[in-house]
Amino acid sequence: MNTSSSFKVFASPPLIFSSRPPKSASQNPRFSYQLPRSCPKSIRCMRDSVNLRSSPNAPSALSFATVEAPLGTKTSDKLRILVSEFRSLTEPIDRVKRLLNYAADLAPLDDTARVSANRVTGCTTQVWLEIKMDEFGRMRFKADSDSEISKGFCSCLIWILDGAKPEEVMGLRSEDLSEMNVGVHGKEQSRVNTWQNVLMSMQKRTMSLVDADVAHRGGERPPHHHKHDLLFKYVNGSYMESSKVHHDYSISLLPLYYDFTI
Amino acid sequence: MEGVAMKLPSFKSLAPNAISIGHRSFSRVRRSSSLSVFSAASSSATVATSSESVSLGHRVRKDFRILHQEVNGSKLVYLDSAATSQKPSVVLEALQNYYEFYNSNVHRGIHYLSAKATDEFELARKKVARFINASDSKEIVFTRNATEAINLVAYSWGLLNLKPGDEVSLTVAEHHSCIVPWQLVSEKTGAVLKYVMLNEDEVPDVDKLREMISPKTKLVAVHHVSNVLASCLPIEEIVVCAHNVGAKVLVDACQSVPHMVVDVQKLNADFLVASSHKMCGPTGIGFLYGKSDLLQSMPPFLGGGEMISDVFLDHSTYAEPPSRFEAGTPAIGEAIALGAAIDYLSEIGMPKIHEYEVELGKYLYGKLSALPDVRIYGPRPSESVHRGALCSFNVEGLHPTDLATFLDQQHGVAIRSGHHCAQPLHRYLGVNASARASLYFYNTKEDVDSFVVALADTVSFFNSFK
Repeated sequence: MNTSSSFKVFASPPLIFSSRPPKSASQNPRFSYQLPRSCPKSIRCMRDSVNLRSSPNAPSALSFATVEAPLGTKTSDKLRILVSEFRSLTEPIDRVKRLLNYAADLAPLDDTARVSANRVTGCTTQVWLEIKMDEFGRMRFKADSDSEISKGFCSCLIWILDGAKPEEVMGLRSEDLSEMNVGVHGKEQSRVNTWQNVLMSMQKRTMSLVDADVAHRGGERPPHHHKHDLLFKYVNGSYMESSKVHHDYSISLLPLYYDFTI
Repeated sequence: MEGVAMKLPSFKSLAPNAISIGHRSFSRVRRSSSLSVFSAASSSATVATSSESVSLGHRVRKDFRILHQEVNGSKLVYLDSAATSQKPSVVLEALQNYYEFYNSNVHRGIHYLSAKATDEFELARKKVARFINASDSKEIVFTRNATEAINLVAYSWGLLNLKPGDEVSLTVAEHHSCIVPWQLVSEKTGAVLKYVMLNEDEVPDVDKLREMISPKTKLVAVHHVSNVLASCLPIEEIVVCAHNVGAKVLVDACQSVPHMVVDVQKLNADFLVASSHKMCGPTGIGFLYGKSDLLQSMPPFLGGGEMISDVFLDHSTYAEPPSRFEAGTPAIGEAIALGAAIDYLSEIGMPKIHEYEVELGKYLYGKLSALPDVRIYGPRPSESVHRGALCSFNVEGLHPTDLATFLDQQHGVAIRSGHHCAQPLHRYLGVNASARASLYFYNTKEDVDSFVVALADTVSFFNSFK
């Protein structure tokens, strides 16, 4: 059980391994059903270790991720961190386990939010997505799913995008997330590709909230909206970049490294 | 009639060595028998009556190279044949052969290649007709798949014959391809769709269906074997009821033609559809069986070449069935490969395949139902109830997609998860999705055992996260 309640607000930061996970019994199907006895313990250990480290000794390090709109942690940076974390997990089963970890950390969604208006269409699993714009004009997301793996995906997406500005939300492309595909080896859009469907839903609804916000303010367009118009146009159900924009993926110094050996 | 097709003579191949790999007696017999008709039971020594101790699944596995691979570090266990079947090498060779040696457009040219292609294409049509015991090969219309075949009936027969207030009877367990076309056509014609629900055995309620059929009913469109429930409907009875009120019957035989003897004379259905890719044939081809007089009365579906008789600027006259419904260049190689698939299945014998699958299906059901927290949909197997060889199920507290993902990633087991193109059925059952393991005659008891072990591992894995 995650002892750090602040994590519940913004999904936990990713756990980054410096060493590759060992090729364990996952290779040999005959031993695989012994795996659950050993594996869950080690996974729980990982989570407990995180919590230990999150307690008094390094509050600033982890509160970094929990603070609203932490300075310097751009969406692109968070994406980079997450991608590199998943890249380090070469065994697909480890990615499943990581996603299940993230699923457990996902902030719960109110029952009132599980309505058809919040359903993400096009998924084989049920995914509900709640989206708001806060008083600073940033996008706030909450999600839930009846599938643990989908919850894990949502958890990762929300970690990247919760608290982001609308243009950052629009700037995330599904190709950027392809590294984190678990089980779905194809990169094409399909019903089983939860990443794409949830991201598209986040982006579509961000746009409508932005438009509604603009209308609410009497048509006066905030400065970032112009840039946004130039950047994107809605084509065939997805937002496409209409001009070349250089994405800055350089990582700023973030104390979010965890060194684990299993 | 056993439902085993006789192998009809085929012309000598241009290149006698065309069928190069896998010199099984089957292919050798085929090449040398260009002028004689073989009874399928006596031809191949590899599969018929050789050794009873080796199961059918084990015997045929060598014909399916795709099954001999590893996925994600584990041996592939393919349990998704209800979605699409694997193809034996003879089918792939037939396709390759066509393109390599006599590819040419059919019904058009008069040169040698074209004549050969046409002959083989029409021979494939005869094989299909023989396989389902149609009275004439003209009653077989080649389509892209069963979905297109149903749409053909809907748009061609339906638009002409359905009037406002007419009823179309369906079951809640129909595949989307046998629901949506009727919805589209009923919108246009004012016909009404009526659905029969499931009874307490979790099969469509045939008694209610009988009650529902009235003089207003113009069409009854039902599946033969359900791709989710594995139940089998008594088509002959339903046809009698329907014909009594003058209604036509369309049978969706996608899950029955590949697995058992289907005799359209016995069933007496007016229309029957099936897809090649579920019966060891390639994708891109399927067929509609329609009684001759019915097809004769139907207007064209798609317009273009081949289906015309004469074309003028302001009107055209149309060809006789089946050409009337086959616009454009057909999937020639694919049809020929479907013919090869039918030959392959017939050699083994559909009764044998069915018998093997009933047993394996029972084994699967038994092992699956023994696991705790597993809920299998459809009827319980018994002396009187023979389920199809598939099980759709749910595990308490575990989403089928998560289950299928883990099975694939950790164990190389391929099953399907989702609504299996039967959303109304899932809604009726009160679930959003289910997992489905489906067998075909190339699966073995070991496949079922691997699946069950893997499933138990999956359940305990996810339980450990709770």
